[in-house]
Amino acid sequence: MNFEETLNSGKFVVTAEVGPPKGTDIAALHHDIELLKGKVDALNVTDNQSAVMRICSLAICKIVLDHGAEPILQMTCRDRNRIGLQSDLLGASVLGIRNVLCMTGDHVFAGDHKGAKPVYDLESVQLLAAVQGLNGGKDMAGNDLLGCTNFFQGAVVTPEANPLAPQLAKFEKKIRAGARFFQTQAIYDVDKFKDFMVVARRFPVKVLAGLVILKSAGMANFLNKNVPGIRVPEDLIEELKAAGKEKALETGMDIAARHIRRMKEENICDGVHIMAIGMEDKVPVIMEKAGLI
Amino acid sequence: MIITRKKNRKELLETLKKFNNFFLIGCSECATLCGTGGQEQLDELKGLLEEQGRTVKGVFVAKTGCQVLGTKVELKKFKEALDETGCVVVMSCGAGTQAAVEIFADKPVYPSNDSLFLGNMTRLQMFDERCSLCGECILDKTGGICPVTACPKGILNGPCGGTKDGHCEVSPEIPCAWVRIWERMEKLGQTEEFKLMTLGAKNWSASIKPRKLNAREEKK
Ligand code: SF4
Repeated sequence: MNFEETLNSGKFVVTAEVGPPKGTDIAALHHDIELLKGKVDALNVTDNQSAVMRICSLAICKIVLDHGAEPILQMTCRDRNRIGLQSDLLGASVLGIRNVLCMTGDHVFAGDHKGAKPVYDLESVQLLAAVQGLNGGKDMAGNDLLGCTNFFQGAVVTPEANPLAPQLAKFEKKIRAGARFFQTQAIYDVDKFKDFMVVARRFPVKVLAGLVILKSAGMANFLNKNVPGIRVPEDLIEELKAAGKEKALETGMDIAARHIRRMKEENICDGVHIMAIGMEDKVPVIMEKAGLI
Repeated sequence: MIITRKKNRKELLETLKKFNNFFLIGCSECATLCGTGGQEQLDELKGLLEEQGRTVKGVFVAKTGCQVLGTKVELKKFKEALDETGCVVVMSCGAGTQAAVEIFADKPVYPSNDSLFLGNMTRLQMFDERCSLCGECILDKTGGICPVTACPKGILNGPCGGTKDGHCEVSPEIPCAWVRIWERMEKLGQTEEFKLMTLGAKNWSASIKPRKLNAREEKK
């Protein structure tokens, strides 16, 4: 079963992600892919995450495929215009990549090439529409394709956005533009996430809750202060503090596992997307704790 | 209006080093409001040049410095001074400078300002960029606030995930354009309409450079 079929089968889906390195040494990446394959249902490959220049997502997606795992191609609009994006999408298609996650992308300003020209010829909603067009055999200019694509396209949403209303409006636009699954920004407040899911469940889309492992109370405070759309509730910070330095990471993993268990048992969403950010080896551990493997 | 900023005076004087006789042209419109090319700034630069033992043959604040023919006519009365001038310094925007380039075919023309953006004066000598001259205005669809300009990513269909408490991910100094647009649409009762409308990719061929407009032809 591929990722789309697995989602449609009603199984509680797990995706994780790998971040391509800066440079050509991909030994660690091979290791992570081997570690995660067979355990997670698909692997996101980030696209110059945080606007830091690295190996392109497309090449690493092909490597994920070669390992026998299923990639989700993350595509941002920051670095390519509509010609580049569509061209890469066609390329992805012939390489056998089926899943694509359409994003606007962190601004150049966040990254390591601050003088680069930000492109943003398209943004997430328009990129989704472009993918839908390619699936239907037409490019953005209305030209016929010699062979169309068959992408399963998704997008991201931030349920903790402040203010939330315009974010929800954009969520609806993404769905109308063809998004069929969503991976969310990191969720730490499951009750609040349930409110979001009440809205999301009105639409025929699959939603995977984003999870980022908390390593310490300090990290939680950092996220609250600096990262848009993430809110770690006070009681979790207390829990991490109480665990002490030694046990903080363990507790963070317990929290993630607990949240996954609850989301699955209460059928809150269709799966989870675990962003381990350098701790890929912890993903199977969390899945085990959550009773998924 | 066109927002300009004075070039660093030390660097400017260094650039002008090779000339001895100058004529300074300002502009009574944008550059005067920006404090970069009004009478006061012309006198200031004149003083600096004279301090260095150079001669300023004349100073003049043009009515509209980017209007080629009008400025040419206005400058007629300075013919003598201009004949003795080795370098014309234009203290307005890039368009004003190039009007002078057109008028003075055989004289070097130097800019004293950097031209920054098309913006509004929000308070005295404080300016905000408001329009990107994209060639295809969408303000009717975005609550009257331009996301092409006010959002660093130029997003057309709502906020990205980077908006934090009403601020943009690029800088806490920048209010998120899409929060502003949304709030205005709420006041106007346009949010439902907004939800149902998706703006397609912009047609950037409307802003291929250099642009030209023949309004006379268009009137016909
Ligand atoms: S935070 Fe708002 S203004 Fe900044 S890039 Fe995102 S949508 Fe645009």
